[in-house]
Amino acid sequence: MDQRHQIKTFVLQNFLFSEDHGALGDADSLIRGGVIDSTGIHELILFLEESFAIRVAPEEMTPANFDSIQAVDDFVARKRTG
Amino acid sequence: MVDGARRTTYEEFFTQAMACAAALGARGLQPGERVAIVLPNRLEAATTVYGIWLAGGVAVPLNAQARARDFAPWLRHCDARIVVHERAHRDIEDAMGDFEGTTQSLPLDDNTGYVEASFATGDGSDGDSLAMLLYTSGTTGAPKGVMLSHANLLANAEAVIDYLQLTAGDSVLDVLPFYYAYGASVLHTHLLSGGRIVLAPSLAFPHLVAQALQAESITGFCGVPSTYSLLLEHVQLSGQVAPSLRYLTQAGGAMPGKLVRRLRDALPHARLFLMYGQTEATSRLTYLPPEHVDERAGSVGRALRDVEIRICRDDGSWASPGETGEVCARGPNVMLGYWNNPEATAAVLREGWLHTGDLGHLDAEGYLHLDGRRSDMIKTGAHRVNPADVEEAISELPWVIEAAVVGIDDDVLGQVIKAFVVVAEEQPRGADRIRAHCRARLAPYKVPKQVEFIGALPRTASGKVRRVQLTEAEIS
Repeated sequence: MDQRHQIKTFVLQNFLFSEDHGALGDADSLIRGGVIDSTGIHELILFLEESFAIRVAPEEMTPANFDSIQAVDDFVARKRTG
Repeated sequence: MVDGARRTTYEEFFTQAMACAAALGARGLQPGERVAIVLPNRLEAATTVYGIWLAGGVAVPLNAQARARDFAPWLRHCDARIVVHERAHRDIEDAMGDFEGTTQSLPLDDNTGYVEASFATGDGSDGDSLAMLLYTSGTTGAPKGVMLSHANLLANAEAVIDYLQLTAGDSVLDVLPFYYAYGASVLHTHLLSGGRIVLAPSLAFPHLVAQALQAESITGFCGVPSTYSLLLEHVQLSGQVAPSLRYLTQAGGAMPGKLVRRLRDALPHARLFLMYGQTEATSRLTYLPPEHVDERAGSVGRALRDVEIRICRDDGSWASPGETGEVCARGPNVMLGYWNNPEATAAVLREGWLHTGDLGHLDAEGYLHLDGRRSDMIKTGAHRVNPADVEEAISELPWVIEAAVVGIDDDVLGQVIKAFVVVAEEQPRGADRIRAHCRARLAPYKVPKQVEFIGALPRTASGKVRRVQLTEAEIS
């Protein structure tokens, strides 16, 4: 399973309780759309840290890195290569 | 007011409110008619309230996270003439499909205000006229729209300004939505005192919230217990992070003593006001002055200016100090009643006293201590959830026989929602299917965090579900 698929599956299963990948667009806002709330984001970060062997610093928790599946995917890719 | 990159002076704020009034007038709004506002915290969530008032209307701020099934009963109940909302808000557009012809839409684009237009204001509303409806009860059963007059809002704002000693030099960082009474109070108190309101980034990004405290030289911050718990968990709060912070306020449910201590240790230079109130009292009833937090641990303080608090026994007589009963309040901030719901109004407004539904006692010096709540309302984060709304959604699933929903204690959110469900036959991934069903139909914060399947719901002799037993089973 590629990285984006893995991230999206986690978000779908844990926040939308669904396996339907059509239920969430890759560019949809996770925060404004209410998909992920102030406690959910920490569950997502834990998942990313465990699955992709990265560390997310507090200052990296920004909408630019976390507000959509695409943003999260790009962020994780940068962390893994950087 | 500061909304991201948008910074608005009082003059520009007023121009925007006038432009909003003009837009409402152009849609035929008549004095006394209701205008629903479905906006997350953004500049227009504030200018629209004042625009509605300039146009003589009644503002009805609705929970922007709600779903179509919530909006339709609210719009119907308040007979909204116009709905102000963000363009392409799918749920409000779905809900409005039912009201074609009677309710008009005023959609707003992202980061864009009203198109400037002049508006001839009338004579102004008299103080006792209706200013705002705030829905409190969820949508199951008859909606409860708290009717607040201009005089209610002014009395509340003046009393709060008085004890927080707000001035034009204050800057508040606001994380609370304006569609809740607490958030509305933050908005109106700071506007009335000529201060500055900075709309905070989402609490999902606590680091950015902390940055804003420093970057915007914030003097005031208002939250519910979970706000503080989240910030303390993820940010190193200190005098360096928030050097200008002068006051903190807390309402929305009792804050555990441990959390009070952690917060005061982290920000010793900020005065912490613990408060208690209700939407039915325009938000605020009591506050505990910061200097009494230690000696009055566990108390929510004394009545604010012009407000009286008494404790009522079950037989209707007044209780003595130390005796637990229902908290009752009287004062200029007590609502006019519930919109179009005389039974609900008669149940809580009796002989000039508001019966809050909260249990508590007064100590010998008149400080209020809360001892629990009579109603089943769940408080999770800043939200209040009527269990019946969630139970109704779960019961729509054909394989569910019945469900009971309760609040379970949670370190961060105060309470989280747990559903106990009785099913006809076991389903594969049943808990997820229930949560997915709720997610599609309810506001995100109403979705149960936990689901447990049980053989039968515990009931009283008269057949009512014994929620207390479900909650106790969880604790033990």
